[in-house]
Amino acid sequence: MSKAIEIAHLCKNYGRHRGIIDVSFEVEKGDIFGFIGPNGAGKSTTIRSMLGFLRIDSGSIRILGMDSEREQEEILKRVGYMPSEAWFYPSMRVRDVIRYAADVRGMDCREEAERICSILKVDTTKRIRELSLGNRKKVSIVCAMQHRPKLFIFDEPTSGLDPLIQKRFFDLIDGYVAAGATCLLSTHVLSEVNRYCRHAAIMREGRLTMLDSPDIDDEAFLKFYEEEEVLS
Amino acid sequence: MIRIFATELKLNLKSLLIWSLAVGGVGLACILLYQTMAEDMKEMAGAFSDMGAFSDAFGMSTMSIATLPGYFATEVGTCHGLGSGMFAAILAIGILSKEEEGHTGEFLYSLPVSRQKIVAAKGGCVLVSLMMFTIICALMYRAGCVLVGEELPVKEFCTFMGREFIMNLEIAAVCFFVSSVSRKNRMGLGIGIAMFTYVYDLIGRVVPSAGDYLFIGPYSYANAPEIFAGKAAKGEALVVAVAVTLVAAVASFICHGRRDLAG
Repeated sequence: MSKAIEIAHLCKNYGRHRGIIDVSFEVEKGDIFGFIGPNGAGKSTTIRSMLGFLRIDSGSIRILGMDSEREQEEILKRVGYMPSEAWFYPSMRVRDVIRYAADVRGMDCREEAERICSILKVDTTKRIRELSLGNRKKVSIVCAMQHRPKLFIFDEPTSGLDPLIQKRFFDLIDGYVAAGATCLLSTHVLSEVNRYCRHAAIMREGRLTMLDSPDIDDEAFLKFYEEEEVLS
Repeated sequence: MIRIFATELKLNLKSLLIWSLAVGGVGLACILLYQTMAEDMKEMAGAFSDMGAFSDAFGMSTMSIATLPGYFATEVGTCHGLGSGMFAAILAIGILSKEEEGHTGEFLYSLPVSRQKIVAAKGGCVLVSLMMFTIICALMYRAGCVLVGEELPVKEFCTFMGREFIMNLEIAAVCFFVSSVSRKNRMGLGIGIAMFTYVYDLIGRVVPSAGDYLFIGPYSYANAPEIFAGKAAKGEALVVAVAVTLVAAVASFICHGRRDLAG
């Protein structure tokens, strides 16, 4: 089994609002896969369907060889997910949130969590309500990485992070991928796709198109967004 | 699942303490006032028991407020019934929906725990919180009795607290179901449900024709004056309570498990 993600003919409709239409793609194990597209194109809907947050209308999703509906718990054990909006319980301290995520997984992740916290300069003594978006994102990264998952799913992970932390974040991903993990990276940042991704796909108007190469120039990249504007 | 239950309990601890100390404190204050008001009560008891529908609605025609059991049933019974019902509603109606409203759902639901287990953990938190609320209030009422040197009949007092707990569970179960299908914390609706069921009971006791349907409401079997007067609760009222609680709880599991979660 060499595929980390296998999605076939996935459709999700929100009634009057368009969701995603006949989305199919595969991600090989060990890949860093760029997932790009304008806001509202369907990237988050695809990701949320993969994680079982949304009930799909048709099609199939297999993650690490497991069915996303029947084996959701097993999949989530092996996945590290970082949502675009990193929210936690405001009254909790950072260390308690990190510990909570590890405890629910039934794992002792203290060593790895401490390592990531020191790399990303996370202040674990603060309460969540005291943190900026960037600092909440760092907590989210720790929660997604501390259990050393087989598959990372990041939804716009670097927005709000300073350049140094962004670099360290990608260094961490490189390390995990070198050790056998796979990464799906949803982003609007072209340089991230060019520099870190090995394969990429773009979503527009709920449909997905695989790109021949993740090496896209600025003009071609912006064209995807302009075409979306024209279409809409 | 245990970890989610424990964390939920911790997150709700402050609210539990505020509500239980407030409701229990009002009851305690009422009991402490009994001694200073006892003489006046004797003079007023006759008048209060003879005020027609008003006396019926608040149970003053059933028991004399000049005795501690009668005073407790009419005064503390009303405060506890209303306060505990509101606490149960507020606690349960936000416990699931707060995850989507506060955008914490993507964190919680991305952990390797099924939705059913999350519903069970949060439902368990509501159950335990209501038990703790009932125990704290009962201890405060007992402390009040000790301080004024009077006794409440143990059997009736335990029956009252037990029925109030069942009534709280019924209201909480309905609100828990609302929470399971809602993306926002509907606190106003929760308070409305508690108030409506209380007023429904009040009206049922005043309007003779409405009395036949009193058993549908959760306050019908938790009426303090009836309990302290030794009247047995209608069997159908308790059957309705158990049925409503179970149906709402099962529906919460099914509906929450099937719906799309907001981002």
